Amino acid sequence: MAAPPEPVATVDTGAETLIAGTDSSFDASAFEQSLDRRPPQRWIGWRLHLLVVATLLGCVTAFGVMHQLAGSAQLDAVWQPNARGQLILLSSPHEDLGAQAGKTLDSLLLPGQDALRLDALALQRTARWIVDDSRRQRYLQLQDQLAAALAQGQVLLRFVDGSTLSVPTPPRGYRGLGIVFWPLTAFALLLYLVGTAVLLLRPNARNALYTLMAWCQALNLLLIAAEPAGGIGQPAGFARLDLLLRMSLDVATATAAVCVFALHPRRLPHAGAVMLAACGVALAWVIAGPGGALPLSWAGTQAVVLGLGAAATAVITWSHRLQPDPFVAVMRRFSFIAVATLGLVTLTVAATHRLGGAAPAVAAIGAVSWSLFFVSLLLLVPFLSRSRRLLREFALLAGIGTVATSLDLIFVALFSLGPLAAIMLALGLSLAVYALARQWILNQMVGASVLTTERTFEQLYRVAREVQDDPGRAAQLLSGLLHELFEPMEMLTVPRRLAQARVVGAGAALYVPLPSSGADAGAAAASSARLDLDQVLVMRHASHGKRIFTHDDARLAERVVDQVCRAVAYDRAVEQGRTEERQRIAQDLHDDIGARLLTLMYKASDREMEEYIRHTLLDLKTLTRGLAASNHTLAHAAGEWKADLAHRLAAAKLRFDWRFQADRDLALSVVQWSGLTRILRELVSNAIYHAQASRVEVDLLLEQGELLLQVADDGRGGDPKAWRHGLGLGGVRKRVRALGGSVQWQDNVGRGIRCEVRIPGLGERA
Amino acid sequence: MAVKVLIMEDNPVARSFLCRVVRESFSDAQQITEAGDLESARQQIEIAGGPTGLHGVDPFKLILVDLELPDGNGLELLHELSSYPATKIVTTLYSDDDHLFPALQAGADGYLLKEDRFEVLVEELQKIVRGQPPLSPAIARRLLTHFRGSGNDASAAPEPGLRAANAAATGTKPTTMNKPVDHERLTPRETEVLTFLSKGFTIKEIASLMGIKWFTVNDHIKSIYKKLNVSSRAEAAVLASKQGLV
Repeated sequence: MAAPPEPVATVDTGAETLIAGTDSSFDASAFEQSLDRRPPQRWIGWRLHLLVVATLLGCVTAFGVMHQLAGSAQLDAVWQPNARGQLILLSSPHEDLGAQAGKTLDSLLLPGQDALRLDALALQRTARWIVDDSRRQRYLQLQDQLAAALAQGQVLLRFVDGSTLSVPTPPRGYRGLGIVFWPLTAFALLLYLVGTAVLLLRPNARNALYTLMAWCQALNLLLIAAEPAGGIGQPAGFARLDLLLRMSLDVATATAAVCVFALHPRRLPHAGAVMLAACGVALAWVIAGPGGALPLSWAGTQAVVLGLGAAATAVITWSHRLQPDPFVAVMRRFSFIAVATLGLVTLTVAATHRLGGAAPAVAAIGAVSWSLFFVSLLLLVPFLSRSRRLLREFALLAGIGTVATSLDLIFVALFSLGPLAAIMLALGLSLAVYALARQWILNQMVGASVLTTERTFEQLYRVAREVQDDPGRAAQLLSGLLHELFEPMEMLTVPRRLAQARVVGAGAALYVPLPSSGADAGAAAASSARLDLDQVLVMRHASHGKRIFTHDDARLAERVVDQVCRAVAYDRAVEQGRTEERQRIAQDLHDDIGARLLTLMYKASDREMEEYIRHTLLDLKTLTRGLAASNHTLAHAAGEWKADLAHRLAAAKLRFDWRFQADRDLALSVVQWSGLTRILRELVSNAIYHAQASRVEVDLLLEQGELLLQVADDGRGGDPKAWRHGLGLGGVRKRVRALGGSVQWQDNVGRGIRCEVRIPGLGERA
Repeated sequence: MAVKVLIMEDNPVARSFLCRVVRESFSDAQQITEAGDLESARQQIEIAGGPTGLHGVDPFKLILVDLELPDGNGLELLHELSSYPATKIVTTLYSDDDHLFPALQAGADGYLLKEDRFEVLVEELQKIVRGQPPLSPAIARRLLTHFRGSGNDASAAPEPGLRAANAAATGTKPTTMNKPVDHERLTPRETEVLTFLSKGFTIKEIASLMGIKWFTVNDHIKSIYKKLNVSSRAEAAVLASKQGLV
């Protein structure tokens, strides 16, 4: 048999310390601990050795039981009880006996003893579910005598019509174990191993209690499997042992349940007293029952088991009251269902035991199916937060199983229907009920997903777009999205690195790695190609505490984060490619054309040519700079313009006055930046070279989105268009128009000329 | 004794132009060595006492380095000469901070823009040698971010540990254990000067705005240059020791 899947990290303790802290104030140190704490060293070293030993032990036990059963003698025939409790022979693989089919069996003739009368009691598979104490005593006695008789190897059967037949009683053999034996044994072994694994993974008191429950129920299952499949006859002493063991195991399981709920997920106040009381009840049962003079009372045992079960439910409810926790809520539901169905089964068995025919047998089957149900609950607990699908499948199974069984029992008990008809009717009805109540059951088990797929997708898309626009808000947007997805009761971010999303505290909390937040991070992220996941979002108690986080949730959350990051990374890669291309062009222009222009400038024959080339070179630089750098703010650009102009005007020995005022800063596009740079340069050049001015005054004013640029000089004035070098002014006009503005020249007050450039709505087109 | 000058420039026309600028700038007798690429520049430096300039041979007093050279970037040479006792000046066509800032970090004492007019270049060169280096608004902004330690500039992003240390320094507790050495931080006055420079104010304007003499402003700028050089050298050392180079 394969080892249980992924070791059971959910029934652990460390993560619970996180929840155990005061609910509202988050215990950071516990978080650190739980985050750092790697799951134990998987399956190496002593754990592996012990597990192997335990597996071997389990297999050997199962094989021992199997061998014992296969070696026991039996009367191989199929019988059916009639209304008076007599056995009618239906068929037999034995030739002589097969020929007698249809006859009614009277008794077994034993040499030197009274004839052993056989009735429906002989067909009973176990004494555990025989209600009447005296009848059970008779059953045990009957089984003892039967075992002794069958061990002879040959029995003499007497039928009601007086005829007798000597039949050999060969050992049952492995094929005689029945079909049900194998899956049940496998199931028992699985439960045994899961229980062992949980204990080995984290040896502590709570896990030991869980392991105890698992082992008890595993043994119980093995005993159920060992019940005779057909025919008459069990190994000597098996019936007594079976009864004693199964009652004790049930009581032990119930006691352990009370104890485990008192300790897990948190130690309750007076846990010691609760545990002591439970053990006391169990001990009283032992003293009064198997240990004492009284014969084992079925009613007493059931009362003890049910009482302890109810106590366990009360304890877990109390635990939930003290501190609501989705894991506890689910466990409470589980334990309530288990106890309620056990009560139902007990009631039905008690109600049907006086009826003749197949009723008691069907009741016993109900008990067995309850056992199976309980075992699957036990098996499920360690994996509760691993997969939601598992829970859903289980809900299906449990829903159909319990409803069908109880209905079946009720039909048989109340309406005396035949077993087959009862089962069909029960199945049909329970399926109908299940179909109607399916959504409700699912909601109760795992909680409904709040967002529909469609809405989730829309949200995801929207968030991805927003994050692209502003990577600095990635963390904030993502936490918003995850909040809508899971509706946790509490949410906080902690600066830590985490490789992947994790469910901790048995589904109470989910840790999701997030990209860092803040403007700083945004800027850093803009320079690198991908978002850096360096903080952790902690979400606790999904769906306002009604639901536990599963590993599906962890995967989903991780995917969401991943998708958003990827969308951003893709956009950024495209943008980066564009930028690189622009930079390459700029570099080429600058290096090649720039170097040539420089050479030309040095070799220029006259001053005018040199200035002209210098001007071209400056324009080229503006062009390449605009290509290479993508963002300029008005304030930064203004600073550079001022320094540049001051430098040039100082070299030309002109006085320079600069005024800059902006009611807000705005980002200039490349076109705006280079346009304004060249307009300004052109106007100042004119003042230097053509106006013969002695001072230049530049006013730059941004008010409510409108940019007003004024360049005034105290030069010779006149119509600028009449100037010889009007070429540059045409350029100014063109550029102002391109920016959506207007330009006009007018005589300056006093002397010179004043140029006014007005660009409305500069901010909008940025 | 003649002042030794090394001019490194691949374009012969530009080289002779720069020679004229240097001759015009200083009245002392000069011995100008020209180099067309990194290789020959290294040879010349080797002859004149090696990159540390401590062999007792008469070293260069002034080195003009072009950034774009046929066999590599002038930055390499600047790094090699980080402790060479000469005034190192970058001559370039690139006036943007992306190109100039690394050069200043590498120990350049100033920069000349090749497209400037002859007279302007002469004046600027004299200023740098006198200890009045230029500082453009873009570079001033870059320096502010650099010393604020936010690590936003991609090309010179400090190593994370250092960034954290710098961030701690700007916080409320300047006396933490791992506070950076004083020379890595700017004084409030220096920061003020840089802020004004980044807004495009001239030295004279800053002097009058701050109510100090213009040469005091210049002292601040020189000090900033020095701190940049020292801090980037310390950074390089940290980086090198991290990579096991030292």
